[in-house]
Amino acid sequence: MKSKRRGLYATVAAWVALGILGLLFDGWLLSQMAIYFCYGMFAMGLSLIWGQAGILSFGQAIFFGAGAYGFALVTLNKIPGLGVSVAMGFVVAIVLATALAAVIASLTFAARGLSGAHFAIVTLCAAVVVETATTRSDYLGGYNGLFGIPPLSWNGTMIGDHALYYLMLSITLLAFLSVVAIIRSPYGTLLEAIRDNEHRVRHLGYVPHHLKSAAFILAGALSGLAGALFAAQFGFVSPSLLGFALSTQVLVWVAVGGRAVPMAAMLGALVVPGAENMLSNVLGDVWLLVIGVLFVAVVVAARGGVFGNLLRLPLPQRLRE
Amino acid sequence: MSTSAPMLKVDGLVKRFGGVVALDGISFEIEEGSVHAILGPNGCGKTTLFNLIDGSLKTTAGRVEFDGHRIDGLSSSKIVRMGIARKFQVPGVFNDLTVAQNLEVALAGEDGRFGFLGLLLARPERVRRDRLAEVAGLTEKLEYAVAELSHGEKQRLEIAMLLTRNVRLLLLDEPTAGMSVTETEAIAELVCVLRDEHGLTVLVVEHDLLFVKTLGAPILVANDGKIIASGDYDAISQDPRVVQSYLGAAANA
Ligand SMILES: Nc1ncnc2c1ncn2[C@@H]1O[C@H](COP(=O)(O)OP(=O)(O)O)[C@@H](O)[C@H]1O
Ligand SMILES: [Mg+2]
Repeated sequence: MKSKRRGLYATVAAWVALGILGLLFDGWLLSQMAIYFCYGMFAMGLSLIWGQAGILSFGQAIFFGAGAYGFALVTLNKIPGLGVSVAMGFVVAIVLATALAAVIASLTFAARGLSGAHFAIVTLCAAVVVETATTRSDYLGGYNGLFGIPPLSWNGTMIGDHALYYLMLSITLLAFLSVVAIIRSPYGTLLEAIRDNEHRVRHLGYVPHHLKSAAFILAGALSGLAGALFAAQFGFVSPSLLGFALSTQVLVWVAVGGRAVPMAAMLGALVVPGAENMLSNVLGDVWLLVIGVLFVAVVVAARGGVFGNLLRLPLPQRLRE
Repeated sequence: MSTSAPMLKVDGLVKRFGGVVALDGISFEIEEGSVHAILGPNGCGKTTLFNLIDGSLKTTAGRVEFDGHRIDGLSSSKIVRMGIARKFQVPGVFNDLTVAQNLEVALAGEDGRFGFLGLLLARPERVRRDRLAEVAGLTEKLEYAVAELSHGEKQRLEIAMLLTRNVRLLLLDEPTAGMSVTETEAIAELVCVLRDEHGLTVLVVEHDLLFVKTLGAPILVANDGKIIASGDYDAISQDPRVVQSYLGAAANA
């Protein structure tokens, strides 16, 4: 039993450590870390569909970018009648990302029974199409994107670095708890069963594409929220947020961290871009080699990812004797 | 229970795969509460028959009725929800999951909770789960990964997973494939328990003569997509067509 609880202790320790980090740093570095929590949430969404349900998507940035653009459009007052409220920005961001995920799910899982490599290719193409279309749209700012998104504020004053860090940490923790609640429910068990043998799931009376669509839409919504929070902190959105490149990056973060364990995927999304930020100055293009080798090593040798085994939570009590 | 209408009625069922005629006009009826076996050599169309009954494949011609309702053309999930559950020839269990998780998948949708929200909020009953684990003989192995189980254990687990509250007809595709003689006898016993204690109707397809004999149920003998004889074991084993087309082949196998 002791070894089984290790994952729980390690997970709690990781959150405590993230809390303490906020006390050790300030300024640019701290705000950078706050932005990475957006990647962390984005990664947990991917972990839900890829790690839990085995749905490999090369288009997750569509939803992250949709959230970012949705937030930008509202806060820059580009949607007539909605005003410029930050709250409305988040609502539009999440609704937009959710709707796009629902459309893609209904065109793929539901209508065509697509899965596996076919689904991956369709999502890849969708990401390329959405990115290209965005660069052509003047309304969305074309290549340059949209600038001047107002920073998050409270009663008219800008939220300081530390407050922002802890705000982001709290939102990410909530997202983590939600994802964990989902995957530890019987629905989560069904997603795992679909990953293992979708055919058998159908022959037990379920409609797998409904269950997969639900997961895909939830992941889309979470990615949309992450994208909106990103836009709010970064102050600027551009087509690369919607595209193939970011979609692939998040796959790498999640694979390196550990796709089947949300906390591991989240840490992958903090550590990999964080290391990239620090090391790419020093290593230059060698960095790409390092991350490439790490990715291959994980895929070949450590399928659970770097943090997966350490942070895997014990099964829910009801599934133990 | 002897009602006027049979529970399952298969009428003139034909299935062609391109030029291959897998089923060539099969008809039979099954009464509620009975156990029947369909015996036939490999490739005679047994699995195809199940694929047609449970909606995995479309029929070329003919019809399938369950409780007097036509079911061919319905989706597999609908047919399962009507109460027809199937055990696959290659055990359809979830190898990456534990025994307890496998049983949770089987039971979570009971009482119509097949959708996302129903499953998210479902509170699975421990008692039911433990009962099925007992049927599977896996009470001590709830936390084992299914990949670690023996072939026979997987077969029993899969049968147990079919025993949801709403199941009424079990389709068992070669449930003793790859089993020892003792395990085979245990499965025959289990099938009788399912009929007598769970009140289930069971249709077994098998190529293994020994199992069908042990089962002691009425037998339909199939060959080349047709039913060529029927009766109890003694009757069919005397039938010259059966001896020639099936027993002869089995003796050489
Ligand atoms: N999906 C399929 N496509 C083409 N041919 C098939 C398919 N399924 C079965 N068959 C053919 O139909 C015949 C009956 O197969 P099957 O039902 O699997 O036999 P059994 O289960 O009795 O061994 C075989 O000749 C087989 O090759
Ligand atoms: Mg077969």
